[in-house]
Amino acid sequence: MVDFSLSDEERQMRDTIRAFITKEVMPLEQEVLRNEREGRSSLPADVTRELREKAKKAGFWGINTPEEYGGINLGPIMAVIVAMETGRTYVPFGFGGTADNILYAGNEEQKKRYLLPTIEGERRSCFAITEPGAGSDARNIRTRAVRDGSDWVINGEKTFITGGNDADFVMVFAVTDPEKGANGGVTCFLVDRDMGWKSEPIHTMGEWGPAALVFQDVRVPHENILGEEGKGFELAMQWIGQGRYMIPARAIGAAERMLGMAVEYAKVRKTFGNPIADYQAIQWMIADSHVEIESAKWLTLYAAWQVQQGRDARHASSVAKLNGAVMANQVVDRVLQIHGGMGYTKELPIERWYRELRLLRIYEGTDEIQRRTIARNLIKGHVKLGEIG
Amino acid sequence: MNIVVCVKQVPDTASERNLKTDDKTLDREAADGLMNELDEYAVEEALQIKEAQGGEVTVLTMGPDKAAETIRKALSMGADKAVHLVDDALHGSDALQTSAALAQALRKIGFDLVILGSESTDARTGVLAAMLAERLGVPQLSLAGKVEIDGGNVRVERQTDYGHDKVEGSLPAVVSVVEKINEPRYPSFKGIMAAKKKPVEKLAVGDIELDAAAVGLGNAPTQVVEFAAAPPRAAGTIVTDEGEGGAQAADFLASKKFV
Repeated sequence: MVDFSLSDEERQMRDTIRAFITKEVMPLEQEVLRNEREGRSSLPADVTRELREKAKKAGFWGINTPEEYGGINLGPIMAVIVAMETGRTYVPFGFGGTADNILYAGNEEQKKRYLLPTIEGERRSCFAITEPGAGSDARNIRTRAVRDGSDWVINGEKTFITGGNDADFVMVFAVTDPEKGANGGVTCFLVDRDMGWKSEPIHTMGEWGPAALVFQDVRVPHENILGEEGKGFELAMQWIGQGRYMIPARAIGAAERMLGMAVEYAKVRKTFGNPIADYQAIQWMIADSHVEIESAKWLTLYAAWQVQQGRDARHASSVAKLNGAVMANQVVDRVLQIHGGMGYTKELPIERWYRELRLLRIYEGTDEIQRRTIARNLIKGHVKLGEIG
Repeated sequence: MNIVVCVKQVPDTASERNLKTDDKTLDREAADGLMNELDEYAVEEALQIKEAQGGEVTVLTMGPDKAAETIRKALSMGADKAVHLVDDALHGSDALQTSAALAQALRKIGFDLVILGSESTDARTGVLAAMLAERLGVPQLSLAGKVEIDGGNVRVERQTDYGHDKVEGSLPAVVSVVEKINEPRYPSFKGIMAAKKKPVEKLAVGDIELDAAAVGLGNAPTQVVEFAAAPPRAAGTIVTDEGEGGAQAADFLASKKFV
């Protein structure tokens, strides 16, 4: 009825990625910690580039990119497995050859100018819907685009834009018909940085920083509309919904690695003459962490499986995202506790993970938004209790 | 160029490895099986020669059904086909018997060049290349850090303690490689998918004209008489630096012949 095993190919891909991460990426970890401690960027750009080249040469490229665009399109389950493996290291690194799903909605000219160079790594995109007054309630965006001849003029402010500091173009969502608002009055524009938008880094408790984007009379040609005028909100939902189940995947890798560190540490760290692994307080922390990691793993794979089956995976994705985000924060807290004072230092990466993983409960839908979605699905009867599969 | 790479599945060196108490052979169930690390270099070298010269790379392994994982890895890296010598009668064969079986298989497959890692991380006898060459009546070029094919000849840089020797032999030949030779590629995802469709021929003892009574644990000319776990590592030497620390550390290293 249910088969939880990986196929031979899946296992081999997992092993290969694991070997790559272990041999090529993890050796950079101390350098990352050192650079960050001393206020430099985590890794010099040339090191990241070299790593990506190596990965590309090895064929780890375009993991979810359709084959007609040169990718290998491994599908959601394998993408989750890959993310779990890359999540084992905190070195900021991802395989190249991918582009945001909604860029595929562009026309031929837009694909040539935006999609293909993004896949090739020559251009960098960012997705901008969130505003100071519109986060989870994205329908309330205020950024305005007004038609002026063959152009549109955009004014407004976006915030918490991932990749916004380095992007050379943005997929920005603006109100083009205030009467209709999110119901047919929001449009997505592809806007090059040299058309005049500005970005400002936002410093966070994590090591990565998003950007605030400012649009002041930014003039954009009509042909830069992505998709159709007034259909922007649908595109935004498509982007947001594309991979919510991917969020916990990296966290599972991180949590498993940390639990491994905690187990090893508990075996060698002695207090009152005994390894702390002998104490029940520590054992319970280890056991609880493992149980939570396992449940997050299977909920995430289940959501990915639903997507792979072509089913509506929104509910399963919310369940996996909520569970994974909470799990990661509980596990990192326990692992830090097991390491005691050492866990609190910047000599070990645990406090870094602690800061980084906190974001998981906020971005791509807060814990509260996920709960709201899950509860509504049940209350309105969209999801039935008592089902399997 | 018809290249055959001999590969072996060994227990992961990172896991705890044991011999079975009943027949004193390797407990393959206790640890994950991996391709012997040096064999990855052998596969890489074969692929590089093929890419430069053309030809075909065949993977040959002797081992239980589980060893098919290691075959798959070599095929994923880019080898064209594989031969899996698998027969219960072969269980527990020692180096002499293994070389006899592999030599028979190699005769059946045919080859211009046989490449293998210079030793395995489990048995570590390091004698297989020499035995194969002897049985096949072809030159052996061992411990290669570099391989060049020039018409009907093969030239290698044979790694030694003092540098390397340049050694040349005529093809067909057996070459064993060391890890200095190249950087093995990762199997690409495309390669992993393609490997599924590549032919793997299974051969039993009867298929290679080998007498089952000549191989296997019961007929082995050498025997594991006894074995013991390695003693736990002794406590290290602590040098307290009171002005002489550097000299003491140097003396220690010299006493171990590290400097």
